[in-house]
Amino acid sequence: MKNWQQGLKPWLIKYLALPSDVVLELPRITIVGDLHVYIENHKGLITYSETELKLKSNKGYIRVMGSSFVLKMMLPEEILLEGIIKDVKFIPD
Amino acid sequence: MKQIQGSFFTGYVTIAVKGNQPELFFQLCAQKGISVWDVKKTADNQCQGNVKLNDVNEIKYIRKNTGYKIRFMNKKGFPFHLSRFLQRKELLTAAILSIMLVLFLSNIIWEVKVTGVPKDIEEKITKQLDSYGIHSGAWKFSIDSPKEIQKMLVEDIPELLWVGVDQKGTTYFLEGVEKVIVEEEEAEGPRHLVATKKGVIKNMYVTEGIPQVSVNDYVEPGDILVSGIINGEEETGEDEDGENNKELEYVAAEGEITATTWYEAEVTIPLQFNTERITGNHEKKYYIRIGNMQLPVWGFSEPDYNAIHREADERPINFFKWELPVAFVEMTLSELLHEEKERTKEEAVNIGVEQAKNELSLQLGPDAEIISEKVLHETTDSGKVKVNLYINAEEDIAQIQPLNQGD
Repeated sequence: MKNWQQGLKPWLIKYLALPSDVVLELPRITIVGDLHVYIENHKGLITYSETELKLKSNKGYIRVMGSSFVLKMMLPEEILLEGIIKDVKFIPD
Repeated sequence: MKQIQGSFFTGYVTIAVKGNQPELFFQLCAQKGISVWDVKKTADNQCQGNVKLNDVNEIKYIRKNTGYKIRFMNKKGFPFHLSRFLQRKELLTAAILSIMLVLFLSNIIWEVKVTGVPKDIEEKITKQLDSYGIHSGAWKFSIDSPKEIQKMLVEDIPELLWVGVDQKGTTYFLEGVEKVIVEEEEAEGPRHLVATKKGVIKNMYVTEGIPQVSVNDYVEPGDILVSGIINGEEETGEDEDGENNKELEYVAAEGEITATTWYEAEVTIPLQFNTERITGNHEKKYYIRIGNMQLPVWGFSEPDYNAIHREADERPINFFKWELPVAFVEMTLSELLHEEKERTKEEAVNIGVEQAKNELSLQLGPDAEIISEKVLHETTDSGKVKVNLYINAEEDIAQIQPLNQGD
């Protein structure tokens, strides 16, 4: 069952042009310059400090590094991070 | 960002969380649907962020089973401003007092302006207004409506022909028109006086022109009563050749010709009738009306009258130049008495005669006089008396008819 679903989803994206973040429940990350990172569809905050933000996602973690971080907004599945961003990294499980 | 918009109006609090990995507390909040914003990590074990005032109770509840310590730091937004303002008693009283002062001053007459009349009449008007209680500094509630003031002024000052009373905010504008006795215009053109109605001449007083009729003559409408042609009238009648070009002299005929005229009238009077009468018993109630709602201020019980006539006198309250939706209402409840009466045929006839006479004198104007009336015929039919009347009146029947003085 699970395998069957896993196979179906990429097919849906490819042939029906459905947005991938919705179908695969993957995080959608919008970055504005090096000022803002807007992450939707995350699965929870792991660590946050002035220089680091680590979020859980469907497949592993998302790690944002930089300095003078402020969480401009926190909603159940969205986070808006403000600060000077250096890198965004995906860390698999 | 929608979630945190308008937070100024609902109020928000900055909370500082202390403990191991304080950011996880905010994560917990976010998961419960509480919007958190401007989260900053101030130290390794301390984090601060903003939450809405409404969510504070839930945050306290979330904290209960965790090891975190919460400190409320800044309270911002309108509710806090308000409570801070309310805490300052002096400021609050001053605000209330100033609003009351403005309300008070807005409901006072500041100025009475009289225009359009000479100084002496202006003086009289101001004096008269003073006696009605209208002067600068008077309380607006105790004053009648402009219409009534207008009526009273015209009645009380004979020199005034008309006065317009207009209330604009706190100022009363009065515009008067003085009565000017206008000399009766001398009619220049030659003219006849002709009869307007048929009648028998009763009295003649001719100041100009030649009377064509005499007392006790019967005239028809259109008959010349006083001729405006002085000489030559007879000549034209006698010899028709040449004498016509004798200079005719034209004058404007003038005079008063009273004639006895007669009218027939028919009136129907019912034998049964209903009357409504105010007994004189009355009670007053006072309300404050806010929008459509009436709050009783004084007089709560309804008087035990059978029928009540209600009359509301409303006085709006002003704030600067605006009328507030709040008004002070004085309700007068008067006892009404319904009566069903019957009258005899004789009474009905008398009433009918009176009614017909009144109607006729209204029709004829104040100069006419009704001399006699006679009931010609009366019938009673289904509770109604029908009366045919013959009325004699005396009135001026002369009317001016200009003479065409050649082409």
